[in-house]
Amino acid sequence: MTPVLGAVRGGFRRRVPVLVTGLVLLVSSAASVLGLALAVDSNAPFDQAFTAQRGADAVVTTQAPATGLAAAGLTATRRLPQITAAAGPFAEATVTARLAGRPGPTLPPLTLAGRATPGGLVDDLVIQSGHWAHGPGQVVLSSSDDSLPPLPLGTKLTVTGLPGTLTVVGMAASVTGSADGWVTPATAAALHPRAAQMLYRFRGAGTAAAVRAGVAAVSAALPPHAIVGALSWLTVQAEQEPGIAPIAPFLIVFGATGLVLSVLIVINVVSGAVLASCRRIGILKSIGFTPGQVAAAYTSQAMIPAAAGCLAGLVIGNLLAGPLLGRTATVYGVATLGVPPWVNAAVAGALLALTGLAALLPAVRASRLSAVQAIAAGRAPAAGRGYLAHRLLGRLRLPRPVTIGLAAPFTRPSRTIVTLAAVLAGATAVTLAAGLGASLSRVVSGLTLSRTEQVVVQAPPGIVRGPQRDAPAAIRQQPGTLHYVAEADVQASVAGLAQPVPVTAFQSSAGWIGYPMISGRWYRGPGQADVSTGLLTGTGTAIGDTITISYEGTRIPVRIVGQVLDGENNGPALVTSTQTLATAGHQPAVEQYDVELRPGTSAASYAQALNTRLGLAYFARPNDHQRGLPVIVGLIAALTLLLAVVAALGVLNTVVLHTRDRVHDLGVFKAVGMSPRQTLAMVASTVALTGLVAGLAAVPAGIGLQRYLVSAMAAAAGTRLPASFLDVYAGPELAVLAVAGMVIAVAGALPPASWAARASTAAALRAE
Amino acid sequence: MTGRAREITDPGRRGPGRAWPSVPGMDTLIELRDVTKRYPGQAAVAGVSLDVAPGEAVAVMGPSGSGKSTLLNLIAGLDRPTSGTVTVAGERIDTLSETGLARYRRRHIGMIFQFFNLLDDMTVLDNVLLPAQLARMRTAPARARAAELLRALRIENRRDSYPARLSGGERQRVAIARALVNRPALLLADEPTGALDSATGEQIGALLRDLNQSGQTMLLVTHNPALAARYARRTVQLTDGRVAADAAAEVGS
Repeated sequence: MTPVLGAVRGGFRRRVPVLVTGLVLLVSSAASVLGLALAVDSNAPFDQAFTAQRGADAVVTTQAPATGLAAAGLTATRRLPQITAAAGPFAEATVTARLAGRPGPTLPPLTLAGRATPGGLVDDLVIQSGHWAHGPGQVVLSSSDDSLPPLPLGTKLTVTGLPGTLTVVGMAASVTGSADGWVTPATAAALHPRAAQMLYRFRGAGTAAAVRAGVAAVSAALPPHAIVGALSWLTVQAEQEPGIAPIAPFLIVFGATGLVLSVLIVINVVSGAVLASCRRIGILKSIGFTPGQVAAAYTSQAMIPAAAGCLAGLVIGNLLAGPLLGRTATVYGVATLGVPPWVNAAVAGALLALTGLAALLPAVRASRLSAVQAIAAGRAPAAGRGYLAHRLLGRLRLPRPVTIGLAAPFTRPSRTIVTLAAVLAGATAVTLAAGLGASLSRVVSGLTLSRTEQVVVQAPPGIVRGPQRDAPAAIRQQPGTLHYVAEADVQASVAGLAQPVPVTAFQSSAGWIGYPMISGRWYRGPGQADVSTGLLTGTGTAIGDTITISYEGTRIPVRIVGQVLDGENNGPALVTSTQTLATAGHQPAVEQYDVELRPGTSAASYAQALNTRLGLAYFARPNDHQRGLPVIVGLIAALTLLLAVVAALGVLNTVVLHTRDRVHDLGVFKAVGMSPRQTLAMVASTVALTGLVAGLAAVPAGIGLQRYLVSAMAAAAGTRLPASFLDVYAGPELAVLAVAGMVIAVAGALPPASWAARASTAAALRAE
Repeated sequence: MTGRAREITDPGRRGPGRAWPSVPGMDTLIELRDVTKRYPGQAAVAGVSLDVAPGEAVAVMGPSGSGKSTLLNLIAGLDRPTSGTVTVAGERIDTLSETGLARYRRRHIGMIFQFFNLLDDMTVLDNVLLPAQLARMRTAPARARAAELLRALRIENRRDSYPARLSGGERQRVAIARALVNRPALLLADEPTGALDSATGEQIGALLRDLNQSGQTMLLVTHNPALAARYARRTVQLTDGRVAADAAAEVGS
């Protein structure tokens, strides 16, 4: 064995620095991989999924070949110069289904496409569970269709017009949302399809105009009126992006915080371990080690546990990221995401390089000291440091062990600063997470109105329904109804805007719905409206202005009375009373009823009972758009916990180093009568002040970061937010958060403090 | 008894309930019965039985590795015996918890060491006050007691100095003041002059003798026969962890 290897092996007898180095690198690399992978995937998951799955630039729905359009004509469009790839024609049928063997309500209408395989040149479907439909009577449902209740594999569906049943055999994701489900071509034929779908990728599809040009080229190659609809990938992207973009800044900040924290703690751990070994370095030099051998021995001593911890952290990070990314992908509404290999390489490279640097610098410094200097440096902090703090703190009316502990950070100021920074980062993460969770909860509640619109009753398109008054009567009679309102969703043009503006019109004031108000007030009667940030920006108007909207050919003046956060419609949007639109001569068609339930009423049970009462005409479903929220809050909690653990490990290391520095003094304290409890209090107090200062600084830092992040999320979604979504911290909560730093610090200090309390006094007195 | 030593140990100045020796009428302050302390591979102390009466000054002697310091640590409650019983001031200390041992040391034991074991980042006064503060003595009486000790030991002018600025003799005086601040029943000294030059060692030895003459029970570990002969009234010789001899000594003047 070479002398250097022998020295490295000897250094491993100090198990705590080895263990802490390994653990910090483990947790840091796991947190970094997780944060970075989520941040990277949150950047453009739709684009990634779209590329990976060869998403269709346009899903073109045509008349079914059987109704006059020759399949050969559709196939021939593949050879158009504007087309780079195409798939289809696939028979397409919109069906009404219900759970087999149950008299319950129908499911929302399903668009089923007949495809022999999930793969292909365009819209390569990802099977997320079960298997593809291989035979008659099998159906694979879209995992991104959130209008369906959860249907486990094996569920049998009765479909109108189809003998027998359809069995759900799999769940698949289509990045372009080409259908709600897929069956074999033979099964599709049995459904009497009235349409067919062609999936195209164009030479240029970067803009709406380019996609329209591509569709126009296809249309020109087909008989007139053959195309009945076309879905652009830009539309799908626009529907997906708001779900992704708001989360991205949060994930990026958390990933960055993890890396900063790791760097601070790695520097603290490794340089502390080397400095703590100064005396040993002096002894090694006195027996003939060269400075190079000393530097090599101590760098290796840090790098071996660091590399092992980093490797384990990468494995754990990837294992954690897998399911989280899978769940996140579901939140995003796109297909499965993975940890990019470069993330692993970058995290390992950065952390190990930093560890090496952090170890090398103090090791080289120590190796250049003379043997006598090194031995002396290893014994104690520089004389004189912290003496004044001892004297001043000793005058406080606190137990003496506590004041001795409080004075300790002043003896090693550089170590204290690094520890302070680590605790500050950890406590900031805790403050940020608390506020972010509350803000996101309020944003999601506000966007989906899920607290008030607990059940939504909709009229499925294409189904012959009874008189409109049937639904209000059924809702009124249903036990558990507190409020309900009829809602019409129409389009109107607004002077100054090129695109039609979605208008949500309620049959009454509907103030109880509680749209989040950014400014102004809720409308009180006809001729008044609340509008989105996008409409104000697009038209250059402000609250109090009157705009003119055109509906059914009639120009209607509307006064803007408030600015609302509209979660249904991105960009310009307008909310008003149906009476405002009635000026055009007729009431808009009601397509939805929003129901608020009495407290304690289960939305699922209510919807099920109401569906029985409604029959086929309407479909009631719980407004559970908050489904993704627990995943996001879970992500925040997981990352916060990891960061707090890393911060606590940093403190653990600091206190271990401090305790080792003062092990002889500990023996003296105990010899003159310090009890185990007093020893515990003294050692815990060494970081309590640091933790308290860090916690107090972390509160404004965390709040500032939370406001910045939530505002950035809102800006990414193209809106402003009501102040109530930002001001989420309550007084008592702030007090609790202010002590978070101290809790992290004391948690990190407790293991070495317990050791110190239990340590043998005689052995401590013998320590040099 | 010198006036200085009386000033340090005068029983009349003790707090309520703090008689000296700690239990009035007690014939034996320290009682060791068949005490063994075994470390892996060897017994540092093997079957030692020993009684020390209140007011005695006992020197424990022996070569390096004979078990002197281990015996001292066992009596101080810094270490626990592998077998046997250790009773001090009527209390079985070998069965006490760590907290109980800490309380025992505060109440009954003062310790001085070869290398002083002062806390470098505390002033002389803070070092002396520390045991009183750990014992939760009220501030005013604690400071008065510390001032009294510093004056008696002639280091009151060094009260605000840090140990690094003191001579070896001054450091040991500070250590003695710290050991006596809680008026212990038993003073344990581990090679108290081992790190001092001979003249300073003489001064410290004389100080210890004065303390004993004023009634302070003392157990002194040393490998120096001259010191033992001059300042102890009884000498216990240890060899390989066993008591080889236990005899009264003629105390030098």
